Amino acid sequence: MMPWLAQADPRLNMWALPPYSPQLWIAVIATVLVGILLVFGLTFLPTNLRRPIVTVMTFLAGSFYVGLWLWPQPVAKVETDLPRDMVESVGFWFQDAQQALANVANILTAFLLLLGMYSLLRIHLGRISKKHPDRAFSVVLIISMFLIVIFGYADWRMRTFLDPQNLLELKTNWTIWNHGRDILFDGLLMQMDAAMFSLIAFFILSAAFRAFRIRSVEATVMMVSALILIISLMPLVIYQSEMLIKAWFPNPSPGSFNPENYKIGTIAGWVKSNLQTPSLRAVEFGVGLGALAMGLRLWLGLEKGGVSV
Amino acid sequence: MRRKQNFWDEIQFIDRRWLYLVLGVFLVLGLNLKCAVSNVCAEEGKDFYATVMKVPEGGTVLIQSDWTTSTRGESQGHLESLLRILMTKRVKFLIYTFADPQAPQVWRNVIRVINEERESQNLPVYRPWVDYIDVGYFANAEGSSIAVRNDIRRFFSRQVKDDKGINRSIFESPVMTKINKVGDADLFVIVTASATLDVAVQRLSDRVNMAAMVTGVIGPTALTFYQSGQLKGVAIGLKGVYDTEYMMANGLNTPGPDGKIVVEYDRSEAPVPKITEGKTLARGASYIVALHFALGLVIFAVVVGNIAMFASRAANKGGKRR
Amino acid sequence: MNLVTIDFIKLTLGVLATIGLYSVLYQETKIYRFFEHVFLGLAAGYALVAVWTETLYVNWWSRMFGSFAEDGTTMAEPGRWAYAILLPIGLMAYFVFSKKNNWMSRIPIGIILGMWAGQQVFIWWNTYGPQINATMQPLVPTTWDTWFVPYMVGMEPAQAAEIRANIHLSQAITNFIFLLTFLSAFSYFLFSFELKGKFMLGFNRMGRWFLMIGFGAIFGSTVMARFALAIDRLSFIFVEWAQAASRFFG
Repeated sequence: MMPWLAQADPRLNMWALPPYSPQLWIAVIATVLVGILLVFGLTFLPTNLRRPIVTVMTFLAGSFYVGLWLWPQPVAKVETDLPRDMVESVGFWFQDAQQALANVANILTAFLLLLGMYSLLRIHLGRISKKHPDRAFSVVLIISMFLIVIFGYADWRMRTFLDPQNLLELKTNWTIWNHGRDILFDGLLMQMDAAMFSLIAFFILSAAFRAFRIRSVEATVMMVSALILIISLMPLVIYQSEMLIKAWFPNPSPGSFNPENYKIGTIAGWVKSNLQTPSLRAVEFGVGLGALAMGLRLWLGLEKGGVSV
Repeated sequence: MRRKQNFWDEIQFIDRRWLYLVLGVFLVLGLNLKCAVSNVCAEEGKDFYATVMKVPEGGTVLIQSDWTTSTRGESQGHLESLLRILMTKRVKFLIYTFADPQAPQVWRNVIRVINEERESQNLPVYRPWVDYIDVGYFANAEGSSIAVRNDIRRFFSRQVKDDKGINRSIFESPVMTKINKVGDADLFVIVTASATLDVAVQRLSDRVNMAAMVTGVIGPTALTFYQSGQLKGVAIGLKGVYDTEYMMANGLNTPGPDGKIVVEYDRSEAPVPKITEGKTLARGASYIVALHFALGLVIFAVVVGNIAMFASRAANKGGKRR
Repeated sequence: MNLVTIDFIKLTLGVLATIGLYSVLYQETKIYRFFEHVFLGLAAGYALVAVWTETLYVNWWSRMFGSFAEDGTTMAEPGRWAYAILLPIGLMAYFVFSKKNNWMSRIPIGIILGMWAGQQVFIWWNTYGPQINATMQPLVPTTWDTWFVPYMVGMEPAQAAEIRANIHLSQAITNFIFLLTFLSAFSYFLFSFELKGKFMLGFNRMGRWFLMIGFGAIFGSTVMARFALAIDRLSFIFVEWAQAASRFFG
């Protein structure tokens, strides 16, 4: 028997080893190596077996969530709860496994996000090596990228490992690494992010002026709907219309005609609730049905352009 | 041969940069015009405020903050007003994102700024571990939301620094002690600029009371969830920020200094109180005049664009349409 | 350097970057392209840091290697070595650049998409069940005392409660319009094949108009959203930076 299994801590077993212990390092490195060998082995796989492998992996990942939905689930399970029968045992297993699967999904998605950055780096390094006329901009991009990686990582390391008393919560205790991260992130990245997206405001005004024209019934209906909504977003206009209605009908008696219905805000609210909401719901409904159909096709491996090979 | 342009043609095909300049000037003017703007709050916004104010003192709220500064003009005002309400009511919160790796640093900056503001007003600041827990970013929104639905304790189970700098399980924190399932939270608020609203509603709305603070782009979709009761209230866009701040300053069904109710609320006879400490009118109030100018300009642009089109057509009757 | 100076430098850099990006409104210049590439580099670089610090370190590395308590020797969490297998699986995605083996990148993508696909069955009903329920509103009036809901301020609570409990003609018509809007827009969205018959064609056309109403709402709301962003930028320059400058110059 392996020696670390003999330890007294009940949390330790074959799958859970002491933190940063030599045996854990060996297990991790061995797992990665075995994984790399498997990946290497897959490169020799015959072409006709590739599609079934991808389809089976997709089907298994999807089947878990279908099973999770169909099988009765425990509510607010705590660690001391024990299953009473087979149904509960499977329900408990589903719930425990879902937590692990959610972690797996988070980790794999994170690796996929890194792919985007790798791709960007690849393109710009390629531009520099091929002496593209715009290579100076690629250099700028790579320098910016590395600067924020260095300062961002240093800032995180200080806060996570070197600041047990949370002193860095106060700006007065910051070092050059914290200020560097703040200038790059808050001073530049955040402001540019906001600036980039705000440019659309200028384009939208130009588009409204040039393209929002009464050319058909549909265009007119759309314009009227948009204008009603835009007016309902101007508090002063709605407020003044309320004052006007109040001046025209100063003291309505209970049980009589209700002047409130004729305020611009109420009319805009009615249009929003009874015309805009159901029409958007119809769109959402259609999209939902499409997503359901696409989900089933992906899960069952019927989607040709999706994950199939 | 190209025909001669008349006045309306010139207007129709004006250089777009003039439009940009006019918009810029209007916005700067609007920002510098300081005046109190009377408001009529949207119904969904009133429900949002009433729902947040219903959370008992010392209760716990889950905040999914999925925005970054690309929508700072709306979402920062949303998160600021939400935090101001929660801090005034001493409500604790767990904050996380399922959307963007930048989002955690963005809300950390917002919390720091609000804490600095409260400190300058001699109000208690919010401390990590004691008053709130920050669990950061999770890359896969769909799987993570289902994990929160199934077993919130297992999903968020991790070690974080307590107020003395010692690593402890987050469920030992005063913020999380009563949370065994997601429904134990008094409210779930999602502050978002993206379709993570759909992901959250689809997976959690039948387990916990949900409210949302969304950008104008997501607003129409949010209203479909609000109409069906899946969201208890929604604050939409910059108008939603101003509505929330206005209700923070005036309450609902609450008499003002002259004895008159400033914001009426049909859904309840009982008043929903205003916020009595710290800032109430803030970002929304300082942006709302500029929003009026900008929206007015759009209406004007659409009307002039159409008049120019018809006038140009009439003037060139018989000529080739451009 | 004191905090006021650092703050001023930080905000000034932000203002310069904002103006640099706004220069594209005049025309695309090298200044714009410079800031555009700074932005892309910073965004990609920060995402790289954050993916590690916010997700991979906490959810992968810490679980794989476990953690110690404050004394540095007592175990807080054991290490679970099986998490290591995710590294080669995740790296398979990088075969997307390989001509021969790019099929392998579909394995991790397939796992993620498979999970999403499996969830669709469950979430469809959870999303649309309450919405179908909310769409089916009463269409028949329950009172003919008045056609519209009367003015209720100052009314006896019991009388007001009775009025609220009833469906008036105006509400029934409103509910009918809601249902009609939904059904016609849905039919236009769903039945994209050629329709025959006056009724169906008319119903379809009506659906198209109602969809336009929805799109108009989206446009109106989007206009507010975009202007809010521009207002925020100009506020950053003319209010936040101006305040920092006045602090800096005393």
